[in-house]
Amino acid sequence: MKGSLPTTIHPDPPQANLTEQVLAAAGAIILGKEHALRLALACLLARGHLLIEDLPGVGKTTLAHLLARLLGLQYSRIQFTSDLLPADVIGVSVYERDNERFRFHPGPVFSQLVLADEINRATPKAQSALLEAMEERQVTVDGETRPLPDPFFVIATQNPSYQIGTYPLPESQLDRFLMRIRLGYPPAAQEKVLLAGEDRRAMVERQPAILTAADLARLQGLVSQVTATAPIIDYCLAILQFTRRSERFVHGLSPRAGVGLLRASKAWALLAGRTYVIPEDVQAVVPACCIHRLVGGDAAGRLDHDEVAALILAAVPVP
Amino acid sequence: MAKPDLIDAPSRRDQTLAITLTVAAAYLPLGRFMAWEVSAFLALVLVLRFAAARWPAATPGRWTLLILTLVGGLNCLVANQSLVGKVGGTALLVTMLALKLLELRTRRDHRVVAIVLGLLITVQFLFDRGLGLTLYLGAVAVMTVALLVDLNGGLGAAPWRRTAAVTARLTLQAAPLTVVLFLLFPRLDAPLWNLGLERDTGTIGMTDHLEPGSVGELVINGELAFRARFATPAPKRQQLYWRGLVLWEVDDRRWSQGADLPPGKADRLAQMADLIDYEVVLEPSRQRWLFTLDLPAQAPDEYPADTRLGAGFALTATAPISSAKRYHARSALSYQTKAPSEAERRYALQVPRNVTARMRSLVAGWSRDGATDWDLVQAGLNFFNHEEFHYTLLPPRLGANPWDEFLFETRSGFCEHYAGSFAILMRLAGVPARVVLGYLGGEPNRIGGYHMVWQSDAHAWVEVAIAGRGWVRVDPTSAVASFRVDNQGASRLLGAGAPLRFQIDAAGPLGRAIRQLRYLADSVDAAWQGWVLDFSSEEQKRLVDGLGLREYGELALAGIMMTSVALVMGLILLALMRQAQPQDPVTRSYSLLCRRLARVGLTRASGEGPADFARRVGAARPDLAVAVGQIVGLYVRCHFTAHHTTADGERLALRVRAFRPRAARHPPGPRDQRG
Repeated sequence: MKGSLPTTIHPDPPQANLTEQVLAAAGAIILGKEHALRLALACLLARGHLLIEDLPGVGKTTLAHLLARLLGLQYSRIQFTSDLLPADVIGVSVYERDNERFRFHPGPVFSQLVLADEINRATPKAQSALLEAMEERQVTVDGETRPLPDPFFVIATQNPSYQIGTYPLPESQLDRFLMRIRLGYPPAAQEKVLLAGEDRRAMVERQPAILTAADLARLQGLVSQVTATAPIIDYCLAILQFTRRSERFVHGLSPRAGVGLLRASKAWALLAGRTYVIPEDVQAVVPACCIHRLVGGDAAGRLDHDEVAALILAAVPVP
Repeated sequence: MAKPDLIDAPSRRDQTLAITLTVAAAYLPLGRFMAWEVSAFLALVLVLRFAAARWPAATPGRWTLLILTLVGGLNCLVANQSLVGKVGGTALLVTMLALKLLELRTRRDHRVVAIVLGLLITVQFLFDRGLGLTLYLGAVAVMTVALLVDLNGGLGAAPWRRTAAVTARLTLQAAPLTVVLFLLFPRLDAPLWNLGLERDTGTIGMTDHLEPGSVGELVINGELAFRARFATPAPKRQQLYWRGLVLWEVDDRRWSQGADLPPGKADRLAQMADLIDYEVVLEPSRQRWLFTLDLPAQAPDEYPADTRLGAGFALTATAPISSAKRYHARSALSYQTKAPSEAERRYALQVPRNVTARMRSLVAGWSRDGATDWDLVQAGLNFFNHEEFHYTLLPPRLGANPWDEFLFETRSGFCEHYAGSFAILMRLAGVPARVVLGYLGGEPNRIGGYHMVWQSDAHAWVEVAIAGRGWVRVDPTSAVASFRVDNQGASRLLGAGAPLRFQIDAAGPLGRAIRQLRYLADSVDAAWQGWVLDFSSEEQKRLVDGLGLREYGELALAGIMMTSVALVMGLILLALMRQAQPQDPVTRSYSLLCRRLARVGLTRASGEGPADFARRVGAARPDLAVAVGQIVGLYVRCHFTAHHTTADGERLALRVRAFRPRAARHPPGPRDQRG
């Protein structure tokens, strides 16, 4: 299933140009990762938060930074460490002697795109400060509720949890990420270009924004206008039902996962230049949208990404 | 991997056990009709079967089976003197089925037994068709279906829930077919199995003659003789003289109908009053006579077509009654018959040769000058009343001349003693007399709204011809035991020797409760009789007439039946197909496309989306790429976009119908056969 992009059946609508430009620019910097890039863009268009899980050094941070540049978003980065405090994320109120009052100094979370680097290195307390902000899209400090900017995205990166010094995210918090993607090592040919070519970070710094804030808002609006007919809804439902019935999983997908799955499918369809969802769109986003929310029934509780996705998609008949 | 062979797969032990127990259960009600040798053989085989299940080494080998088969066959032959016919054939079927139980190895063997079980169940309705048996055999049949479902349910233990669900569904689906076949299956007027291979000699209930002791046997018989439902208010109990046979001829021991009477025209009443309308449902007796209240008052052509009113108002059927017989009748409780003809008179004055001198002198003592016939009757009744006569069900055995011995020596007996000897005395006195056999009384069943007349209500009485009054009923038994006439049935007061059901205090709460239950059970039985067993070819004709199909003749029934069965089965099939086949025309078109592509080796995996499939087809068969791409494009447009018209759906259907891919010259490689 991986890499099988749906055919475009109808002529491209105009917005496809914009998204194709974004993908082309991203693909020029992050080599050999077209599918992951497309998923990441779809995730942001569907107003979802993105979790990138992989080994250090495969370009997670670069990807996040690059997306911020391409989409023209205000960007901040939080490096999660084991001594990170919630105030380091949200901000603090500081007493100003001149004005004889407290003034709130917003933390890095008050950005349109927040990169939470190595989120599983921080303690659960610090993690939850960010994860609550993700869900509510606002933070409450000293009894005052402050809205976060719009659009607001969190791209979190995570090391595989078997690495030393990690606090794996609990399922309830994993559920808040619309997608989890993996980058993996680049193919040999692309890696050669990478080694021979320019420093990627410098390229990212030079990269101009392709989308304006208005463009992004319009594209996000278009996502919700993508048609998903009854058979598609039924198909999503069947996938949810299957994970709930199957003995392979401790518990199935949540209704939130279902809503996310459909929205991500719509975004995927939009990226493919369609105004309607076909089953392949759903299939394309199932591995990224669903697997991180499932807990396996075997002793280890870990699930192999691709194997499980293939299992689900083979078991649920396409309408 | 080779597919597991479901037909000859080894069976499980519980399947073997279940089918063995089902065979035993199916045989259980049949046991009473089979010779004991057949039951014993089945029991022996069952013991061997269970032993083989417990110790597999004890499974009989080929030679043992051969010997057992011979023994079983001979056993049937010895027990029934026949291997054909109803009883003989059934015994052979049971024996062979039992032997097959010892051969249960594969599932195929189990299936064979289950199917033969169906035959065994069906055959039992040749013996009995009661409601209880029907329900019981219905349960056995459902069990058999469940066994078959389990045997066909794949390898490994099928979950019992699934087996139960499938069985229930099959049973429910069979229900409408059962109704159609019941209503419309052509019925034969004569039983099909009565092919003359055996004679049904055993008669039930009353015999066609009367000799001391013959009715007494009936009185301890607990079976039902008939049910009667009155359209008008029911007469009093002592008026319920149910007339059966009229006996004219008497010899040394017995009264019988006699054959000398000219087959004159049916009698008509001279005067009648207190008319009673009623319906009788007679239990099968294998005899011809029917029972009517004294005296039937219909015009001769008002009786049912298959009955005949003979001399002495005896109503008989034209054929022996082999199944429950329902008929309507009207009787007059107050009546006057015409004077007997001269032939009748002569016939009703014959006396047996063994009339003794003391009988003659007894009668001579009653004849005084100027005594009328009626005075003589009264004198006869007085004789029974004043002398030491006893009413008993267990009379002493009578010797060579029963009439004389009863009248002068034993002087204890039952209604047939009194009626038989009284009629002889009347004939000696010159009063024409005849004996009537029938039933007296009837137990009102308030739940069912009818009267139940039992074999134990059998009775015999006398009719004498009095000048100017015609035939008059005289019941000499009442002179001795009036309770027999105006109280409960005689046997109910006898205690010892009577069946158990009479020994419970009938008036006590337990007796009342039991009686109520018995009434209820009998009403259910009567309803079963009325609705199911009585559904004869006549009723069927009425049904067909009601449907306005009379003019289509005999074939109409078969035609309607076949049509209805086809209709019901078609509906079930349609319902089943609907579950499998999507109704949406767009999906149907797409399924057709997928089927056609599957035929050329391009099978869509169930989890494969349309665009992926189209691309795969295009890669495997470039010649089909364009057509399939267009069709799938149309399908996607119809199925997944908001803006499409019905015209698109029709175009899709047309395109798919026109799309007939040919198989590739080089079959696609295994890489393409996904899923």
